[in-house]
Amino acid sequence: MSKQEKHRILMVSDFFYPNFGGVENHIYYLSQCLINLGHKVVVMTHAYQNRSGVRYMTGGLKVYYVPWKPFLMQNTLPTFYGTLPIIRTILIREKISLVHGHQAFSTLCHEALMHARTMGFKVVFTDHSLYGFGDVGSIHMNKVLQFTLADVTQAICVSHTSKENTVLRSGLPPEKVFVIPNAVDTAMFKPAPERLSNREIVIVVISRLVYRKGADLLVEVIPEVCRLHPNVRFIIGGDGPKRVRLEEMREKHSLQDRVDMLGAVPHAKVQSVLITGHIFLNSSLTEAFCIAILEAASCGLLTVSTRVGGVPEVLPDDMVVLAEPDPNDMVQAITKAIQILPQIDPQEMHTRMQTLYSWHDVARRTEIVYNCALRCSSQNLLERLSRYLPCGAWAGKLFCLVMIVDFLFWRLLQLWQPDRNIEVVPDIYLANHPRDKTSRDSNIYDHLR
Amino acid sequence: MKSQIFMEFSEGRYTYINDTNKGPPDAIDIHHIIISRSSVQSYIFYVFILLSATFCFSFSVSHRCLSSLQDQSIAFLLIFSLAVCLVKSWRGKRVEKESVTILPSFGVQLETTYRSGRTVRHFVPISKILKPVLNECVTPVTCYWSLSLIIREEEELLLVFKELHPPITMLVPIWKALCAAIVSGEFTGVHSN
Repeated sequence: MSKQEKHRILMVSDFFYPNFGGVENHIYYLSQCLINLGHKVVVMTHAYQNRSGVRYMTGGLKVYYVPWKPFLMQNTLPTFYGTLPIIRTILIREKISLVHGHQAFSTLCHEALMHARTMGFKVVFTDHSLYGFGDVGSIHMNKVLQFTLADVTQAICVSHTSKENTVLRSGLPPEKVFVIPNAVDTAMFKPAPERLSNREIVIVVISRLVYRKGADLLVEVIPEVCRLHPNVRFIIGGDGPKRVRLEEMREKHSLQDRVDMLGAVPHAKVQSVLITGHIFLNSSLTEAFCIAILEAASCGLLTVSTRVGGVPEVLPDDMVVLAEPDPNDMVQAITKAIQILPQIDPQEMHTRMQTLYSWHDVARRTEIVYNCALRCSSQNLLERLSRYLPCGAWAGKLFCLVMIVDFLFWRLLQLWQPDRNIEVVPDIYLANHPRDKTSRDSNIYDHLR
Repeated sequence: MKSQIFMEFSEGRYTYINDTNKGPPDAIDIHHIIISRSSVQSYIFYVFILLSATFCFSFSVSHRCLSSLQDQSIAFLLIFSLAVCLVKSWRGKRVEKESVTILPSFGVQLETTYRSGRTVRHFVPISKILKPVLNECVTPVTCYWSLSLIIREEEELLLVFKELHPPITMLVPIWKALCAAIVSGEFTGVHSN
């Protein structure tokens, strides 16, 4: 069996630490597991306040915080060609073989993928969210996505529903799209050591209290459940614009002793909140994949969720009770969950989650996608331009023009600063880092002699 | 008896010269980084200034702000003197050489020599230097290596080469020499206490 070749991957997104969220976690965990498999991973993102420059994270993960200021919702200002010099410099100095962009809403990701394609690199794109088709913002976003994905080498989606959504929005051939679900850090999300008593049932809700996450549904559901089941208590963690409505609901139905509002819960404390409950309630109106219910299942909670987006694909049928996003249906689902609660064993659920979901598995599957991408043939400029023309009557020609100007700008940069003038960075290995066994130990001095 | 070690190599526009006097009382280590003139840059700059001056002058003439010959000649003189000032200030900023002189157990002298002949020197006592570090600096358009000194009781790093961006192959021997000097400086310091 031939030795697996190791890749040098550049992850690009506007969303990375110190910001916190699903995409950020995904990039970090995936990078760490890929480093464990022996690949080299570099992350590129924009600068956050005064965090700018190069940082090294656990395992030797190198992060470039490029000093481009974010202008709207964490996104870098889209200047089309402004990021070409720095992306070219990073790609050459780190000897990158493949670029992996994350999240359709990230302008830095789109620009990086465009420039990487111009320079002849293979690119992979991962879409993490579902988007609409109707409103003005979505229409423009989908056009931008169509442009980026017209020439992408491979794409990854986090669920089959998300794949359908991405393929419809971008016109990408479905054969190019792989489905790799997210995973959960089961070592961090462990169930409570002692099983909770079933005298009082505690239902936990942890989400941003916004419209998308179904906070309005909660306002209808909670009073009804409290009326039907006198032994049920709610714990609500999270903050957002809809918090006021929930506070009003509490006041109106005098549920102060039965509904606890915790406010924003830092991610490190989420596990300690989850293990105080029996049931996890998710009322999202749209979800490509829901990591929150994975975390809850890993902590041994039975999940009640709305049947939207990719949620039905996440958990086995005996770990989740699904309902339509309608208050009556959800109340019935909660009642059913309370009835089957005695049959649930949190430890057994946690053990099953360990086998079902792991970031190492995600990394292995992503490695297969990378191998597939690198085996694809390279195209010259004319072949690539022919992929942009079908995007639309006017849009196709505009995209072609954008790519031609990008190509010319790249050639101009090569004249101004040739590739050989950009110094390659020596690889810095950590002392206890698992490396390829056949390579000799080397340090920075050897590379620079 | 004095013995001299001399090393030189070039990379692109930069030349590295190492001059070490190993004689008594102590070895004085001098590292120079010399940057060659770039004729391409000069021509581009002169052409740019000429075009801007011509554009300003023809703009003011065509918009009939200056009707008489007297006004036109005054405008011409003003624009010409402005252009000359710009060229002079640009030439004054051009760096010819940057040097690092390591005086063991005493300190480090950083020197910048401009093409106009002006020299700027900065001395740092050895006791103030905590460590020399090689840093990657990221700007919105590029990324390059730089050598800096961490100074005790200062928040900011002190750049060894303020104007030039020499390649890493030239920075590493200077960094090693600085590390060795700091270590021996601490050793001497302990003994003298």
